[in-house]
Parts: sequence; structure tokens; C-alpha cells
Amino acid sequence: MTPRWRLLLLALALAALLPAVLRVALAMPEFGAPTAVLGQSVNALVPELRHVANMVAAVNFDLRGFDTLGEECMLLCAVTGATVLLRGARGERGDVRAGHLPGRPVIPRADATVLVCRVAATLTLLFGISVALHGMTTPGGGFQGGVIAASGLLLLYLGEGYAGWRTLVPSPVLAAMEGSGAVLFVLCAGLPLIAGHPALTNGLPLGEWKDLYSGGLMIAVNAAVALSVTGSFGLLLVEFLEETREPADAPASNEADHEDGTMRART
Amino acid sequence: MSLAETLLPVAVLLPLGVATLLLALAHWLPPRLPKLVAILVALAVCAFCVLLARASLDGPVRHWFGGWTPDAAGRPGVVLGIGFQADPASAALAAFCGLLFAAAFVFAWGYFDTEHAHFHVLMLLFLAAMTGFCLTRDLFNLFVWFELMSVAAFALTAYPLGRSALEGAFNFTITNALASFLLLAGTGLLYARTGTFDFATMGAALARTGADPVLIAGFVLVAAALLTKAAILPFHLWLADAHAVAPSPVSVIFSGAMVSLALFGLAKLVAQVFPGNAEVMGLVHGLLHGLGLATALVAGLTAFAQRHLKRLLAFSTIAHMGIMLTALADGSGTATAGLLLYILGHGLTKGALFMAAGILLALRRSADEIVLYGRGRGLWAPALATGLGGLLLGGLPLGLMHGATGLMDLSAGVLDRVVVALASALTGAAVLRAAARIFLRASGVPGPELLAPTEREHEKPDRPLWLMALPALTLVALALVPPAAVRPFLGAAAARLRDPSLPPLALPEAGSLDLAPLLLTAVLFAFALLRRRAVRPLSRAVTRSERTGFRALQALHSGLVGDYVAWMAVGLALFALAAAVSAG
Amino acid sequence: MTLLPWLVAAWLFAVGLYGLVTSRHYVHLVGCLTVCQSATYVLLLGIGYVHEAGPPVFYDHPPGTPAVDPVVQALVLTDIVVGAAVTALLLAIAIQVQRRRGTLDPQALRPLRPPPSAAE
Repeated sequence: MTPRWRLLLLALALAALLPAVLRVALAMPEFGAPTAVLGQSVNALVPELRHVANMVAAVNFDLRGFDTLGEECMLLCAVTGATVLLRGARGERGDVRAGHLPGRPVIPRADATVLVCRVAATLTLLFGISVALHGMTTPGGGFQGGVIAASGLLLLYLGEGYAGWRTLVPSPVLAAMEGSGAVLFVLCAGLPLIAGHPALTNGLPLGEWKDLYSGGLMIAVNAAVALSVTGSFGLLLVEFLEETREPADAPASNEADHEDGTMRART
Repeated sequence: MSLAETLLPVAVLLPLGVATLLLALAHWLPPRLPKLVAILVALAVCAFCVLLARASLDGPVRHWFGGWTPDAAGRPGVVLGIGFQADPASAALAAFCGLLFAAAFVFAWGYFDTEHAHFHVLMLLFLAAMTGFCLTRDLFNLFVWFELMSVAAFALTAYPLGRSALEGAFNFTITNALASFLLLAGTGLLYARTGTFDFATMGAALARTGADPVLIAGFVLVAAALLTKAAILPFHLWLADAHAVAPSPVSVIFSGAMVSLALFGLAKLVAQVFPGNAEVMGLVHGLLHGLGLATALVAGLTAFAQRHLKRLLAFSTIAHMGIMLTALADGSGTATAGLLLYILGHGLTKGALFMAAGILLALRRSADEIVLYGRGRGLWAPALATGLGGLLLGGLPLGLMHGATGLMDLSAGVLDRVVVALASALTGAAVLRAAARIFLRASGVPGPELLAPTEREHEKPDRPLWLMALPALTLVALALVPPAAVRPFLGAAAARLRDPSLPPLALPEAGSLDLAPLLLTAVLFAFALLRRRAVRPLSRAVTRSERTGFRALQALHSGLVGDYVAWMAVGLALFALAAAVSAG
Repeated sequence: MTLLPWLVAAWLFAVGLYGLVTSRHYVHLVGCLTVCQSATYVLLLGIGYVHEAGPPVFYDHPPGTPAVDPVVQALVLTDIVVGAAVTALLLAIAIQVQRRRGTLDPQALRPLRPPPSAAE
């Protein structure tokens, strides 16, 4: 189909959908006064049952913890897939030469940049850990903390340069973090089975409400998620940034093609 | 807890745990270990699910994660946690997935000899997602497994990194990601109205509510998502791209289990959640039935006009999905039994056929029936698998698929039976034609298939023929099992998919021997073999108009992702119009 | 009674579809997919919103004070992870497509092509 016909088809379809959307919108439960009982039951019951303040964390790591296991594996699966796709074409080794656009000057890194990046990276890492640790009491948790910690790795790249970054952040270690975080989650789910309880049974002491230690098993699950998410996002950054590299022994004919690819991928 | 109740989550946790462990240790493990472990895990999942299926004959096996049973809240209608439930049908399908994965792992031995076991990690996650999808009784949990299944499938499709593989994977990802958004939106709407995700609780709440646009919209969005995964017209366009370009062992899983699993999910939802809603059931009996017939016919014709063996098989899969959808829309006990049996029979047959295509891709470096003309002579094992597979698709009165068609026919109208016979015959004859060309060097002049898209990519020939042929022949042999062997189990499975407390359905003995599809296959096959160059003016005119028709079909399957999205919107609009018409 | 959240969700989805259908660049297309996805965020959060209620985190205010639905928020968190996963995969695919085909125009990319002999 030409784009014009396709657009016409879409317009017709959307026009046919419009009355249906209006009917559904009119029939929806009143905005601001939901009728679904589950959410309010969680708010009413779970602080007492699990001694945690953050209900979203309670839903994610305890009530619907099994969803989170699937979600965690989804992230791991996507990162593994992206690794395969990106690494498959260029092999295992890290390349030494930076991709370089002809005509663009290479400016050496200023000392101030290095310093600021080191400070900021440390702070970002600490902030990530703090967000992850306080998952049971305040908004946050393993997912958010893991993403923040992993994004600190980018600052290392900025400050230390590529070679230093690759030494500081070895990808097998990130893969091991990613995998072992998920293994820990699976163990949290599976070990209660051996004792004859349902999977993911929260058998640890629940701790105190508003305390850093509150929620029992949720803390272990939260830590597993934080570990795994940090590894996943770190690995993703390594693999995508690897795309800015030039193979040291790239044949000349390939280089133009490759150069072009890197340039467009970055812009 | 009983043994079965303990095993229920293990069927998902085992492949997840092994996959993540392999990933964590990938850098340090010997390269052969993951292959062996993957096969063992798939067989273990299969064994566990067989145990579950047997145990669930005495009543459903349930497992509430974290001990959050429906009573935990102390409020009626509030289910705080997630439940798994094994009924005979769900557990049997999960076992089938384990079996198919084991066969695919054997078939792929040596093909994915890369460092870091990434292929096996992805495949094990895929397996875990499928088992979870079968066994869950929670709508949002279903979404999670649906999405894990999708993400693993996206990555596996692009795995060969060929041009076609990448573009096919891109189209696949865009369309199926859209489908997952629809599923999530539908889940949200159903939650807004019923306040729960649990199938049984939601079903009870729905039965109390009566006519309600929000519920219908929830159903439509969920159904559209599952129909996208199940490749039903007009949501089906991604499938031919993805299945044709994915690595053959992965295509085995895609066509054999993934798409039909989506249809099974829809059947389960229709049976357990929506039976109390007259409007929704009207859509199921009306629109879904029509879509099934249209899918079977259009995809059958398109399959007949393909030359790339894997693309041909992909269209054949779509056609058979259409046939299964008519059984789903029928919804009677015997039709449900037929649907379940058809999923098994079709999955085994299609798995074997994709393996045969994979053997050709590896040993003869092509899957194009015209390029391969006569080059398959001497490969008796893939020839046997392809020939038998083609006959089974075309209605050979033996084995599981024929038994399934017999069950579906019991409540089908004349139109259904004609369309089903025609679609089966078209796909069967297409496979047989390709087999005759490749393995026997027998053929007439190519018809419209000459114009069909094709691809020159091939696969690595790094394993012996017997290792690839063994799983293919095993699957065909299993597809030939007489349906009487599974009849008592099937009766219980079909009845308890709807309601766990129902007594087993008494299924009739094999009905009359229906040879019509096989005869039609023979006619079409003979037509393809005896075709001569059109020289006389009349036959040239016929050929020209035939080409025009098939060119329109090829143009519909353009490979452009924008077209696919536009057609998905059209599909949603069809649902909206049908719902408006039925609401008066 | 307000229809706004539901209409915003529908509008976002429609606009995303428009972008997907007319897009001329894979990376732009991935962006449009994210727009479609944000429709589900709006819908889910809209479903859980309660007038004049706080967040479902009982740290500053004790349990029992009105709070919005935590379940849909947990679902949205899952949804965001789904979005990140799919986007990462799509961008990785886009990089490889650019390498192999030299273009990212969806109109020029199709998985299998008609054989050269058929170009009559």
C-alpha cells in the first residue's frame, strides 16, 4: 500500500472506533471514585499484615511478587536479546578505537570533567542504593534504585574514557549480577516450597512499620531485583556504547559503511 | 500441600531458575553443558506437567503464591494474590510445550554453538513463559507471561542477524508490542469494572453485571491482543514474516506452540470468564466465527501461492489457526475437545515440517522449492516427514488432526465444513507440491508461486542428518497416534476447561470416514503437478486473471510494518462495529 | 463527571497509531510505539485515581487515610519495564538493520522479497 492509502485506511478505522470509544468512556466508573475493591482492600489490610508503608512495593514484591519475577525475567530476556543482536555481529572482544567522524576535532577531557564525573558517579550510586534500600518505606524500590545505580555507570564512561570504563565495568560481572539477582529471586520463590509452604511465602520476621527492615521476604526480593536491574541496565549500556567503537582491524571497504551506521545510530 | 500442588509453580520456576543460572555463569561454563541442561529441563517440565495433568483429573490443582488464598483478605470477591490452576487441558498443553522444546533442542544441537549460551537462556525463558501462560488463573499474570513470551520470541527471531531476520523481527516486535498494550488496556478496563484479576472471581462478577460497554471493550481489547498473537485475519500479517525468517528450531516452537497457545488462552478466557455475558458471547459466536472462516480461506489460498517453504508453512499455520478459531467460536463441548486435539495434532505436524525445512536450509542451503528443484533426492528422512506432514495437513484419515476435525464437524454447519476442507486441502496440497518438486523432481510448470517473495539465506550445516531427522520423525510419529488413545482424557479436559466440577464429557466414537478433504487435496496436488504452460488464448486469460488475484493477496502481505498497523486498527474497528450492531 | 482521562488515553493511542503508520524512520517508529504505550499508563493510572487522596505510601500519614489504588500503580511499573525491554530490543534491531541495509525507512524495508525474475 502507498502511505496515502494506508492513512486513509487508518482514518476509516479510527472513525469507526470513535463512537465505541465515546460509549466506553461514558460508561467508565466515575473518574476519581473507582469502584474496584482490590486496591482499597490492599490499602486497608496490608499495612497491618506486612508491616510496610509502601503499598506499591507490597503489591510488587509480595502480593503479586510472581508477576514481578516474570517482569524481571522479561528485562533480563530483552537485555540478553539485545546483547545477542549487538554482539553477534562484532564478536566478543572490546574494540580499542573510538568511532570518529572525519573533520570533527577530538578534544581531550578536562580535569574538571573527570573530577565532577567521579563525584557525581559516586553520589548517583549512593542515591541508587538508598532508593533501593528505602523501597519498603518510601516511594522507590529495587527497580528504580537499580536504574539509578546503573545510570551512574554512564558518568564513569564520561569521566574515565572508554578504556578506563571497560576496565571498571567488565561485562561478565554485569551478566553475573543480572543472572544472580534473578536466581536469588527464583530461590526466594522456590525455597518455601521445600518447607512445604506455597511459593514466595513470606516466612521471615516482618520487622517494624516505617523501619528500614520491614516486610520480611520482601527485602530479599527487593535486593534481588535491585541487583538484577543494575546488572541488566549496565549490560545494556555497555553493549550499546560498544557500538560507537571501530574494529581496530576493520577492512577499509567496510569502514565507510560502519562509520555511517554508528553516526546515524548516535544522532 | 500435596505433591501436585508443590509441582505446579516448579513447572515455571525450574526453567526460569536454570535460565538465569546459565546466564549468571555463562562466562565460566563449558560450552556443551547448556545444551544438555536445556534438553533435560524441557523433559522435566514435560514430565511435571504430565503428572499435573493426571493429578488434575481428580479435581483442579491450585497454588496461591505467597499463601494469598481468596480467603486471605476476609472479604468476598477480593483476591489479593496470584493463583495458578492446573486443569487437565492446561497441564497437558504445558506438557506438550515441554515436549516440543525438547525436540527443538535436540534438533538445534550444534546450531547455536556460540559462547555464553544465550540461545538456551532465551529458549528456557520462552518455555517458562509458555508454561506460565497455560497454568495461570490471573489476567495480569497472563499478560506478564504473554509479554515474556513475546520478548523471548522477538529476540529469537532476530537471532540469525540476517537482513530478512532483522526486518521480520522488527515487524513482529512492533505488531506484538501493540498487541500487548491492547491486552494491558483490556485488563485495566476489566479490573476497573470487576475489581479483580482472578479468572473465576472475575467471571462471577461479570455474570452479575449484565450488559456494559466497559466489559465488552475489555473483552475486545483482550481478544484483539490474543488474536494478534494467534495470527487471525486481519491481525495476522506479522506471522508470515517472523516464522519464515526465524531460525528453524525457533519456527518449530512458534508454529507448533506459541500461536495456538494464544488461541488456547482466548478459549480459556471465553470459557471461564465471559460465559455470563451475552454480548461477549454474541461476538464470539458471530464475529470470531466469521474471522476464523475468512482467515482459513485467505491464508489457505496464500499458502498455495508460496515458493519459500517456511513462508508456505507459515501461511498454512495461519489457515489452521482460522480453522481452530471456528471451533473456539462454536464453543460446544465436542468442538472444544476438537480444538484441544487440533492444537496438539497441528503442533506436532507443523513442528516436524519446519524441521524438514530446516534440514533443507542446512544441507541444501535454501528453502525455495523452485531453487531446490530435484535437489532433495536422497534425503529420505525429511522427504518422509514432509510427505506425511503434507498428507496430515491435507486431511489424511489417520492421527490426531483427523480425529480433531471429526470432533469439530459434529457441531459445524455446512459452510464451516466446506471452508475447513478447502483450507486443509490448499495447505496440504501446497506442502505436497513442494515435497514433490524438491524430493521427487516431479512438477508441472510453476503457477502463481513463481511470483511469491523468497530469500536466499541458509543455515549452518554443522550437525549430522540423523540428529536433525530424529526429532522430526518422532513428532510425525506422535501426530499419527490414533485419537482413540486420548479420548477419555480429552473428554475430561474439554469439560473441565469450562468448569472444574463438571463430569468428563462422553465423546463419540470416531464418526464416518470423511475423505472429502483428502480427495480435494489430491485434486489440487494433481492440478499443480500436471500444470502446463498456457499457450492457448483461453488458458492464457485464465492464468492472467489467476495471477492478478494472487498478486492482490501477495500485496496484502506486503512486509511493510505501517500496513500491518493499519490493518490492526481495521481489525479493532471490525470488533467495534460488530459490538455496535449486536447492541442494536 | 469527567471523560478527560479516558479521551486522553484514546487520543494518545490514536496519535501513536498515526505515527506508526506514517513513519519514515525506524527510530521514530519506536518513539511512536512508546506514545501508544503511554496511553496504557494514562488509562491505568486514571482507573486507580481517587479524588483528594494521597499516595499509597503510609509514611507521613497513617494507614487509613484515603490513598489511590496501589495495584494499578504496580501494574504501571511492570508496564514501564515492558516498555524499556521492548525499546531496547527494537533499537538493537534498528542498529543492525542500518548496518545491513543502509537505510531505516520502513517503506524500503520488507523481510522477504519477490524473486528477481518476477520483476516483469
